Amino acid sequence: MREQSAVGDERCEDQTKLANGDILQAVIAPLARLWRRSTSAAVGLKPESAERHYRDGVLKVRGGDMDGALAEFDKALDRAPGFADAVLARAELLDGQGRCEAARGEYERARQLWSEMPAGAPDRRYLFRRRGHFAFEIEAYELVRANVRNKILPQLAHGNALLVRGRAAEALDSYERALRIKPNLSEVLALKGEALSALGRYEEAIQAFDSVLAAFQADVETLNGRGIARMALGKLAEANDDWRRQLELLPQAQSSARACVAMRQGNNEAAFHSFGLALAKEPANAYWLLYRLTAGRLTGAPRDPVAVPVGAQGGAQWPAPLLALHAGQATEEDALARVDTPCRRTEALFQFGVLALAGNPAAARRHWGEVVERGAPALIEYAAARNELARLGS
Amino acid sequence: MFSVILYGRNDSHGYNLHKRAAISFNALAEVMSDPDDEILFVDYNTPDDHPTFPEAIHDTLTDKAKKVMRILRVRPDQHAHLRSKTHLVALEAQSRNVALRRSNPRNRWILYTNTDMLLVPRNAEESLSDILGGLADGFYQVPRFEIPEMLWEAAFDRRDPAGNLAKLREWAVRFHLNQVVHNYMPMKYDALGDFQAALREDMFAIHGFDENMILGWHCDSNLAARLALYRGRVDTLIDKVFGYHCDHTRVAAANNKGRATRMNDQDRFIWNVASPYVPTQAESWGWPDVEIEELHLDRDTAYQRFTTGLDKAIKPATAPFTGTSLEWQLFEDLTYDLPHTLPFVCDQVVTFPRSTAVMMVAARADFVTGFAAAWKGMGFTGPILIPEECEGLPGDLEGVERAPFAEQLPKADMFIFEFGLPTQTATEPVRAGRAMAPLDKKRLKVVEKLFKRAAAAEAETRPPARRVPRRFIGVNVIYNKFWTTFTDYVGANINPFCSQVLAGLPREDESLKGKVLRFRGRHAL
Repeated sequence: MREQSAVGDERCEDQTKLANGDILQAVIAPLARLWRRSTSAAVGLKPESAERHYRDGVLKVRGGDMDGALAEFDKALDRAPGFADAVLARAELLDGQGRCEAARGEYERARQLWSEMPAGAPDRRYLFRRRGHFAFEIEAYELVRANVRNKILPQLAHGNALLVRGRAAEALDSYERALRIKPNLSEVLALKGEALSALGRYEEAIQAFDSVLAAFQADVETLNGRGIARMALGKLAEANDDWRRQLELLPQAQSSARACVAMRQGNNEAAFHSFGLALAKEPANAYWLLYRLTAGRLTGAPRDPVAVPVGAQGGAQWPAPLLALHAGQATEEDALARVDTPCRRTEALFQFGVLALAGNPAAARRHWGEVVERGAPALIEYAAARNELARLGS
Repeated sequence: MFSVILYGRNDSHGYNLHKRAAISFNALAEVMSDPDDEILFVDYNTPDDHPTFPEAIHDTLTDKAKKVMRILRVRPDQHAHLRSKTHLVALEAQSRNVALRRSNPRNRWILYTNTDMLLVPRNAEESLSDILGGLADGFYQVPRFEIPEMLWEAAFDRRDPAGNLAKLREWAVRFHLNQVVHNYMPMKYDALGDFQAALREDMFAIHGFDENMILGWHCDSNLAARLALYRGRVDTLIDKVFGYHCDHTRVAAANNKGRATRMNDQDRFIWNVASPYVPTQAESWGWPDVEIEELHLDRDTAYQRFTTGLDKAIKPATAPFTGTSLEWQLFEDLTYDLPHTLPFVCDQVVTFPRSTAVMMVAARADFVTGFAAAWKGMGFTGPILIPEECEGLPGDLEGVERAPFAEQLPKADMFIFEFGLPTQTATEPVRAGRAMAPLDKKRLKVVEKLFKRAAAAEAETRPPARRVPRRFIGVNVIYNKFWTTFTDYVGANINPFCSQVLAGLPREDESLKGKVLRFRGRHAL
């Protein structure tokens, strides 16, 4: 009531005046828009991929071709049935056409699909903690940055969506465009560091993080990012310093973030305690249960009975197979059989090492060595394995 | 399940505000079904002598709306440090953050909307609490649909929210109301601030609304930008709920000057947002250390306090009416009817904070006794400061503090000056041509002298933390010799004689006359 939102023309600094420049702008603007449209193209999408069809569907919606869009979304879902962005887009189209009953279930399905996606570690920068495909966001911010020129947010939001989708090189390009608008802006510099880190350019990433931390020493998210990059380069002590500092700065209330960063630095006592608190807040979070068991094992804490969650159709979701392993209800082979991504393989190998440590340190060393060799440095297990190996004298 | 956060003040913001707001409060309460649900209304910068906005329209609210509403009152003195930085009298970011800080921690969701919105679940069997209860974590918005002014003004019954929601379901189809206005991301829709549902936990994590936004507009877009970064997505609830806005553009609101409207910088607060957080306000957003008064409409209301206070001070009248007169020949007669006057005095103070310290400079002892009883009965906890210079007044009443005038001056939040006759008895006739006794003259001279000193030196003697002028209440200052005395120093309205009371803030008169008056007042000349 009091303040409606109205996003007006960004060019009008003083909306009470229509100067000569504005008149000129009014003439040029339509031509400029046409030019911008022609430069906008899908980058890095295979012609028949689900994302390509999704993108074509979005463009058809913008052009008013609803039936064509529906067909594109259907094709996207044929190729990737769990593609929540396409499910939602389809639902909105059906709803708008009056097919509300059909749409209702689709809206719910999209939300369900998103909620089942894994969330990132809570000690990491905000953008890594989200769930989603971000296909809609990539397209939406592409449109914004083509029309709202020379502004930070469109580039930054576009970059974030790409980075979380694993398209780090394109994300880096977006962040660099943002930095051309406002060089050395710490928030963007930090994101550039994350993109560089994701590309394996750790030295450059550390330089970017150093600049941010020189200005903002208590930036916990950047401390985390620099720690990951340092650990990837094998600089254990420096990485652990960053995470120790992060742990000092994180409020007690953020127990899950505290627990994760403690586990990264191999501070298993602190991790055990904080995962206990995190579990009390989120009893259904199977990762907190798994990690608490892990930290407990590594510190020699008395073992609690393990309640392995059982999902629909008798098969529990990941990381239930690893909990079953801790409970003695599954073998390494059983767990590996449920692995469907490289990250999950890293998680499994790390747990094999944890369980092997007491009876067979050489096997533990071998499993953790593989984690370090093949795992993604951003994973908690990667840092934890490096610290455990150091403890074993490797 | 959720806390709805609204803000406003007791003024006339846009066309037929009272009806719009009553419709909206009642409709919002109607779609709540969880015992923890609440409507938090931040009443921002309403003058101290006014009731809050919801109190002013309480008779048009349903019992359910009254039950779920918590009013958080931000006083003018609490806003004063921002007054020079903005042309607005109510600040959105500050208001919404004050409410967020004090919201029910058991609620998972915060819903930001405004006092002219009706939220209509698409499934009439579902409440908004049911809808939000079933949602995954996220940041949700819905498009806003407009209701033509004729429809809501002519056809809605303020106290029939269920009927109003049913009418909207019918009108949506009949009058083609449901048009989704898409917008660039991160806004997603136009007028997004009328439905933004975020996790309470997320709002704390990003440090609430950006309190640098004090020029109005775009607070919602800034929030969307920051939550879109933080959450990654802006989700829609269009499948669950429609939001309808009571259009009110017949008369432009105070913050709407067409193309000349002053507003927060879009580039700074939308397009160049680079972080979800506002670290500079991480510890201070929502004024965590400021004591904010909380009021309710279903208990301990101002009316209840007022009547309780007066019941302690006066007995019911025994005659159908009493009389007085304003005929000119009675100008010198300072008698007045105390039981009749006391309700008008209490009316001047009941909306002030309970901790208010009031300085009472009076001539009549029975006025002091009666007012002290009413003051305590109204629940005030602040002291009644009576200067030692005032003789013949009771000093042993509970809550009364006696000390030299100069010592009490910087402790007072408000002043009452009473110009009665100490020798008047309870049974004598009022305004019948009574002359002043020597004792009356002596005591009134003291009252007049202290009044002038207090009014002339008000600015210099304010309590250290106080930023706004203190209010002066004059009792028995209409159509008698103290009328000009009082109004020379205090900017009071013209009030009916029957009320016996004038009130206002000290005049800031920079004319020669004003300067002379202040000089004389300060030096008791």
